[in-house]
Amino acid sequence: MKVQARIFIILISLVALLFVPRLFSMDYYMHMFVMSEIYAVLALSLALIVGFSGQVSMGHAAFYGIGAYVSALLSVNFGLSFWVTIWIAGFAAGLVSFMIGVLVLRLRGHFLAITTAFFGILVGLVFNNWIGVTNGPMGVAGIPRPAPLNLPGFTVAIQTRAHYYYLGLAFAVMVAFLVYRLVNSRIGNALIAIRENEELARSIGINAMAYKVLAFSIGGGLAGMAGSFYAHYILFISPVTFTVAESINMLVMIIFGGMSTLFGPILGAVFLTVLPEFLRMAGSLRLVIYGVALVVFIIWMPLGVWGSLKSFWLGRRQASLSEAGESQEHS
Amino acid sequence: MITVFMQQALNGVVLGCIYALTALGLSLVFGILEVANFAHGELYMLGAFMALFATKLVGAPFFIALLISMSIMAVFGALTERVVFRPIVGKPMINSMLLSFGLSTALANLALFFFKADPRKIDSGLADIRFRFLGLYVTAERLSVLVLSIALVALLAWFIQYTKTGKAMRAISQDRVAAQLAGINVRRIYSVTFAISGALAAAAGTMVGAIFFVSPEMGFSVVLKSFVVIILGGFGSIRGVILAAIIIGLAESLGGGYISYAYKDAYPFLLLVLLFMLRPQGLIGGRRS
Repeated sequence: MKVQARIFIILISLVALLFVPRLFSMDYYMHMFVMSEIYAVLALSLALIVGFSGQVSMGHAAFYGIGAYVSALLSVNFGLSFWVTIWIAGFAAGLVSFMIGVLVLRLRGHFLAITTAFFGILVGLVFNNWIGVTNGPMGVAGIPRPAPLNLPGFTVAIQTRAHYYYLGLAFAVMVAFLVYRLVNSRIGNALIAIRENEELARSIGINAMAYKVLAFSIGGGLAGMAGSFYAHYILFISPVTFTVAESINMLVMIIFGGMSTLFGPILGAVFLTVLPEFLRMAGSLRLVIYGVALVVFIIWMPLGVWGSLKSFWLGRRQASLSEAGESQEHS
Repeated sequence: MITVFMQQALNGVVLGCIYALTALGLSLVFGILEVANFAHGELYMLGAFMALFATKLVGAPFFIALLISMSIMAVFGALTERVVFRPIVGKPMINSMLLSFGLSTALANLALFFFKADPRKIDSGLADIRFRFLGLYVTAERLSVLVLSIALVALLAWFIQYTKTGKAMRAISQDRVAAQLAGINVRRIYSVTFAISGALAAAAGTMVGAIFFVSPEMGFSVVLKSFVVIILGGFGSIRGVILAAIIIGLAESLGGGYISYAYKDAYPFLLLVLLFMLRPQGLIGGRRS
């Protein structure tokens, strides 16, 4: 696709997204859309780690949780504003993920995945048991909403779900832009080189460890900021939100849409936030259906919905395709 | 003081034996199919339930129940391999991870739906027999866990080392294509591997069900700890896995007794981190990723 056409499509869809609150005024729908935005940020940040640098992390929810707790505790105990704590939360989660990254990123494949999963469990244990600070399983309640936003000329109080929707949209778009710039820079090239062949990348002078840690820290930091947004939206957090199952849910999101693209994780985040809502009527068998659906999906669509459709389509018109044309294009 | 310590250590060793059984099955599947099977814990959980039903409903004695549950889970393991895992062998590892996680979620919640969440205990009839040894109390139950685990591990080691199927398994884990070229029926070995891993998991689950409890959510933490055991013990080495399993069991038991019980699931992770810092060269591995 031509670059101009792409920018045009993105602008059109952004304008369309601005009108979503007008079309769906019910609180229930708006809640799903705000959650989709939070998950879009999480999926993008995880795609930076898993999709672009090829390091499978099963502990992403830990950074999400660290961000949420740091932000919530700072604003509940010290009265700091959301506009300050979201940065502190992002920095704290980024710092933790930097330290963990230095320790574990020399591992590869399954070993890395399992170790990060254990880190997720460890963080969950701390949330549950460090009762003096985190209030344990009871969670942190009474988190204040973000302070009114002073824009030049007028002031917006962040009260309704629609306000959160616009705030979340701005947040998600900024994160998408950041990740886009990142993966299309020299850093992104280095990350993709590491994903494809780490030895080869190192042989041409790429400091693989440094780049992997960088991607891991940025991803963790962004997840922390998403956690902060979540805390100040739901106004209550507890350890049950930030489990390994949640990390795996994020992985499913990025593989659902196709993980080495920017559009894929966003698509996966929205679908996997909205689709499970339809399963509510299944009651206690909801998770059984989720599990079976996951199995079927991985067997039949190993490349994600987007990738599998694309390869199906390409397979059908393979004969008519010239070699070097569109099929070389990745994202 | 010293008796308490010894008692905790003994409990740790018993726990370690159970981790060794689950970790060995997991490491077989990992070595031969290159699949990280997160649903392994569910084989362990279902095995425990099978033994529970065998003792409760049929009235089978404990050891017969153990055999029943091992055979049912062997068949079930081979079946899951055929239906679920075979289509994705050779695909990227994230696919097999998410697939097995989906399977694990489905099985655990099905068990929750049918068997309900209240923890139950397998009655082995051995809990009341106690031995006194150097001031330590050992129930016949724990003793039989020790003996059974050692017997099963020895059997597995013999099987892998000396039988034709065992040799084929080793060949595949070294080089799948070469093994196939040499005329080994790779698919049959996949099924056999999953059957063995299911049977070992069922044995471990049954023993845990006799000492502690049986519940639908018992699987996931065990599978993660078994993975830690494999990482610590080194991939593909039975001796390393056993040693690591006992270290993890001891760390959990002694750490839970002396440091903090609430954090007992954190000790395996801390051990891993310690290992990375002190002996990174031992773990650069991942040659199969």
